[in-house]
Amino acid sequence: MSTDQRSGCAPPRTLADDLRARDDDALAALLHSRPDLLSPVPNDLTQLATRAGTRASVVRAVERLDRFALQVAEALAVAADPCPYDELLALLTGDGRPDLERAAGTDPAPDAGTGPDGDPAPEPGPDTYARCAERLPRALRTLRDRALLWGGDDRLRLVRTAREVLAPSASSPSPTGLGPTFAEATSGMPPGRLQEILAAAGLGATHDSVSALAALTGLFADADRAAALLAAAPGQSGAVLEKLVWGPPYGTAEHRTPSPALGWLLDRGLLLPAGDRTVVLPREIALRLRGGRAHRRPEPVPPAVAPRRTHPPETVDATAAAQAYGALDVLEELLGGWETEPVPVLRAGGLGMRDLKRTAVRLDLPEPVTAFWVELAYAAGLVASDGTADECYAPTPAYDDWLGQPPGTRWARLVTAWLPATRVPGLAGARDGKGRVLSALGPGLDRGPAPDVRHRTLALLAGLAPGGAPAPDDVVARIGWERPLRGAAPAAADGAEGAGAAPGTRAANGGHGEALRARLVRTTLTEAELLGLTGRGALAAYARELLPPAEAAGTTGTTGTTDADATGDPDDTEDDRPGAWGRHLTAQELPAAAARAARGLAPLLPEPVDHVLLQADLTAVAPGPLERVLGLTLRVLADVESTGGATVYRFTPESVRRALDAGRTAADLHAFLAAHSRTPVPQPLAYLIDDVARRHGRLRVGAASSYVRCDDDAVLAEIVADRRSAPLRPRLLAPTVLASPLPPDQLLARLREMGYAPAAESADGDVLIARADAHRTPPRTAPEPSPDGPPVPDRTLLGAAVRAIRAGDHAVTAAHRPNPHKAKVASGARAPGGGLPRTDSPDTLATMQSAALTGSAVWIGYVNADGAASQRVIAPVRVEGGFVTGYDHTADEVRTYPLHRITGVAELAED
Amino acid sequence: MSCLIVQSDKTLLLEVDHEQADACRRAIAPFAELERAPEHIHTYRVTPLGLWNARAAGHDAEQVVDALVEFSRYPVPHALLVDVAETMARYGRLQLVKHPGHGLVLVSTDRPVLEEVLRSKKIQPLVGARLDPDTVAVHPSERGQIKQVLLKLGWPAEDLAGYVDGEAHPIELAEDGWSLRPYQTQAVEGFWHGGSGVVVLPCGAGKTLVGAGAMARARATTLILVTNTVSARQWKHELVRRTSLTEEEIGEYSGTRKEIRPVTIATYQVLTTRRKGVYPHLELFDSRDWGLVVYDEVHLLPAPVFKFTADLQARRRLGLTATLVREDGRESDVFSLIGPKRFDAPWKEIEAQGYIAPADCVEVRVNLTDSERLAYATAETEEKYRYCATTASKRRVTEALVRRHQGQQTLVIGQYIDQLDELGEHLGAPVIKGDTPNAQREKLFEAFRQGELSVLVVSKVANFSVDLPEATVAIQVSGTFGSRQEEAQRLGRVLRPKADGHEARFYSVVARDTVDQDFAAHRQRFLAEQGYAYRIVDSTELLAGDDA
Repeated sequence: MSTDQRSGCAPPRTLADDLRARDDDALAALLHSRPDLLSPVPNDLTQLATRAGTRASVVRAVERLDRFALQVAEALAVAADPCPYDELLALLTGDGRPDLERAAGTDPAPDAGTGPDGDPAPEPGPDTYARCAERLPRALRTLRDRALLWGGDDRLRLVRTAREVLAPSASSPSPTGLGPTFAEATSGMPPGRLQEILAAAGLGATHDSVSALAALTGLFADADRAAALLAAAPGQSGAVLEKLVWGPPYGTAEHRTPSPALGWLLDRGLLLPAGDRTVVLPREIALRLRGGRAHRRPEPVPPAVAPRRTHPPETVDATAAAQAYGALDVLEELLGGWETEPVPVLRAGGLGMRDLKRTAVRLDLPEPVTAFWVELAYAAGLVASDGTADECYAPTPAYDDWLGQPPGTRWARLVTAWLPATRVPGLAGARDGKGRVLSALGPGLDRGPAPDVRHRTLALLAGLAPGGAPAPDDVVARIGWERPLRGAAPAAADGAEGAGAAPGTRAANGGHGEALRARLVRTTLTEAELLGLTGRGALAAYARELLPPAEAAGTTGTTGTTDADATGDPDDTEDDRPGAWGRHLTAQELPAAAARAARGLAPLLPEPVDHVLLQADLTAVAPGPLERVLGLTLRVLADVESTGGATVYRFTPESVRRALDAGRTAADLHAFLAAHSRTPVPQPLAYLIDDVARRHGRLRVGAASSYVRCDDDAVLAEIVADRRSAPLRPRLLAPTVLASPLPPDQLLARLREMGYAPAAESADGDVLIARADAHRTPPRTAPEPSPDGPPVPDRTLLGAAVRAIRAGDHAVTAAHRPNPHKAKVASGARAPGGGLPRTDSPDTLATMQSAALTGSAVWIGYVNADGAASQRVIAPVRVEGGFVTGYDHTADEVRTYPLHRITGVAELAED
Repeated sequence: MSCLIVQSDKTLLLEVDHEQADACRRAIAPFAELERAPEHIHTYRVTPLGLWNARAAGHDAEQVVDALVEFSRYPVPHALLVDVAETMARYGRLQLVKHPGHGLVLVSTDRPVLEEVLRSKKIQPLVGARLDPDTVAVHPSERGQIKQVLLKLGWPAEDLAGYVDGEAHPIELAEDGWSLRPYQTQAVEGFWHGGSGVVVLPCGAGKTLVGAGAMARARATTLILVTNTVSARQWKHELVRRTSLTEEEIGEYSGTRKEIRPVTIATYQVLTTRRKGVYPHLELFDSRDWGLVVYDEVHLLPAPVFKFTADLQARRRLGLTATLVREDGRESDVFSLIGPKRFDAPWKEIEAQGYIAPADCVEVRVNLTDSERLAYATAETEEKYRYCATTASKRRVTEALVRRHQGQQTLVIGQYIDQLDELGEHLGAPVIKGDTPNAQREKLFEAFRQGELSVLVVSKVANFSVDLPEATVAIQVSGTFGSRQEEAQRLGRVLRPKADGHEARFYSVVARDTVDQDFAAHRQRFLAEQGYAYRIVDSTELLAGDDA
């Protein structure tokens, strides 16, 4: 499907032609790699080609190129259009001449020319160039498959939009570090000046600028002559060139009053003025100085991801399984705490920093790790906001179901939630573009590239032999090579990155903060470890189930060039299978895969134990995970002191009291301990339980509304025995005290009915003297007098009232012109009684826009943020972004109104 | 199934009844601190200090990781292994060495670390000129301080600057009819190879002999710092008996005597006496060219002595203690100023070897009478402990206990002088307290040793270093609130091996349902963690048993 097929046909004239010549598979591959072209389905190939050429789509496609394909595209963007294959290859590997940069430079300090990355890495050797030549066809095939490139090998053409996106311009420097062409840089230069340059460069004068340009371009294109010219440069001038040669090509210099060195260069057109105080190195000269290379360091081969350490696969699986089991424990502990003490939701959404810290302390984990678990529980639907007025996070009913499931299933649920998640917990605590702190569970944590990077990272791990753990930096470098533009912005910036970010902005990257992509790779590695997908940095065997089969099968079979590379086989197939990068299981496949993984995990999980070891220092040690019921009971009876493979519990008076409060008796506890202890119950522990139990419940607290006190036990016994007293629900607290839930006055009345003569008692025990109660209201204020007219207004109020009336009058009396086209609407707009005008929003918008064009005033109804309606007369100036800005006659100033708050608009009658 | 469980909070649980337990204990002991040693499962903790101790003793991270992985029953969390490796890698990146031209210098094998610490405000005043990118001069007098600060910064320095030999003085062990026990020899060797450091041995396990052994290795003038005068006399007595030293070669530097001889024994108290804001006895440290400084009871080392010690870094230092638990939490100062732990043996192990007497610890719970309970309930908060610790009910139980062990050498130990006086009166036994003259103390102790006296009532002056080998019963009636090390020291009074090899008894009389009981629980934690299981007995049962 590449060049060979086309060699026989007539050369295509457009991209559409080129696409037309491709077979169905190739088109399918294109649509697979650029799914945005599919919605909606294009009508024909011309339309497909057009859409493939739109800027948004091209930017998207360019972002998904690997570094070498991108470098090839960048080289094409600075080359002639169309560009023959050989010329392109020369741009990547150089023209075989020694770098004039070296010849011209007098100062051979290695750091003199700082590349775009600023680090003086060693210059690439002949080996790299050989690899470039070898892998160029492959990169071209990638570009072709993605419809970024078309034309035969003799006439390679980058899609025009791609060329615009990638070509250097003053506003967006190219990663090649090349400047504008000589012709571009000299446009607008007086012809006389051009002639001077011509003369200084030793060329014959010409009549017109076009031939002058051609002569100069020809000079620089001719390697020998250019070399001769540059070789003559004085030392200082060479140093100046050297500063600019690898970019950025712009330098600050006083070109109006140049130093001799600078003057020499400016005279010969080797530097051209580009602004008041800037000069630029034209592309042809830079290329000549660079030996014809577009990139300082072409990177044709992806960095290898080799195992840094290899652990026995059994160790890896066991470690990962233990971690997987631990993950369940952590979540249970996390949510177990939240179910008794729900944590509040911030008003802006999310979990407060203080609550996160508190939770981290409780779990004895670092805060970022805690944030991860919290987010994971959230993603898995185990925790959510309760949605009440005092919004709190609390476990969901699904959490209860989850708790009841076997460990493998519980783990599968977590993994299923984690793999496709776009939320990045690692960002919690950072600030977004507006300086707001991002909080865990809060908004603004979603990052589009996260799932792709996550899957690609896991796939790279899967590509290693079982038990191989790579160095994280290698993985970061590899993924950086594969998707240099995806997630290249620093992580902390708000979600503006992604498809919207123009490739040009990548030059700014590298200054502050690590790229989001690198951060995602690192968090993926740590999170996979926490979740038990990896153990000691290597992918566990059961976790391979979670990756699409082809990639899980180890090093994938390569179809293209076969590189027998010593460093593993970095030449993997992702370029050949477009869209495979970061490929993951679909939502339908994932649960089944997770279940398979869980089945693989299950035999590795530790068996629950049914006993503990009790010790005289009042601790109990469970030498493994406890059976659920046993563990729950023990958690009530004792405090957990340390967790891990085993659990250490400590008995304290408080913990024993807690168990007693929970309804256990001392005998229960003794029996429980005896039943589950492998060792005899130590005496101090038995004493502790008995001691606490002895005092537990010795004091009793209850509620009663009234009591009956009598020194004669017999009377109270009589009352209790009396059937008529049943409604009193009397309870004998002591022989001489009887309590009742009835209020005292009712109790008194009932007792009197029963023929007793009770007396009421005050709080101090005195007998209350019964007296007819004089009825009183609660405190009340006297009524205000209501005179029959309003109070006389003062001057301020009057003044304000008059102004308001005048303004309103202006709005109403300005007669409104009925809309000739929509009389009905207009009449509706002029509601009877001077009500607000009402028009539908398209009409409002249209009328506003036309008023803004004609500069006429309109009459609007407006509802402000508090819901108060008013009428205003405004002269719109600008209508954009849902706002209308205009001169408000009513308020006598320029104001901006949101369109959605405008109820309607009517034109003013001309008067 | 192997015997070790690694917990996520970096504690290690060792099942002692497991067949591999011994091997495992030996493998993890170099880097993990034994935290608790109750009957079934011992708890070790991996701390940065412990890991650095291991590094100082020449172990590397690989060994630590191997030990953990080999013995662990469950897979060891990766994060923990990484953390171990990283923590251990921090030790020794900075080294204090002697430079031929510049004296003491701080050298780094990792330049960023040096840059980092040099930026610390606390380090800046301690260092001198930067000699080259990896070396910076350190004033010799700041050797201790800089080690302290670096440890706090998490970059402990390895002190390779060596020691001065000090003034030579011939000292030999006089091993006639006795010899150092194997663990004592190990302790001496461990210390000597490490240069400086702390030896942890239970009370009664012969720490004095470890000191003597170290002196015999050093063969140099020695300064011995002890807690009090009685203890100073005992050191002197023991040294004369066990070594070639004579009475004349050993000086005592205390409140009453100020002798400076080739071997000088000084008390912490005299060193920390302040007059007009200065420590007049500080010159003792410079009065001779000491080759060895021995600190008895390191866990009690007063803060000013730490300060002096910081200036003594060029001399070999040996710390002796039964427990590194400091109630003030200055374990890290012990590490940086005296040195890493060089030897440690659990109490129970030495007991099993027969070098200390087995002990039966009993907590006697006394029910207070109703009137006492009421008085207790209404007492001021700060008086509560004093009240319940000194109730008449406790006194009666104590007397009953003494009667029960009639004929055995019994010590009654308490905190409150009036309580002790009262007990002494009731029991007809002499009382030793703070104001008892030293001569009188010595006389009474001697009488007790000889068996002329069978009951002695002592205050906390006898907490430490009083050698009363024949005491078999100790009854504790009150203490310094919840002090764990005091409890250990008091138990230590009865742990000297007995002539007839019979079991020692340690009673703690506690008033039930009061703060006394809470404090007792706290006090007992250390011993319970060392494997001493307390039995609890009701006083009523105890007295009833007596009557029967």
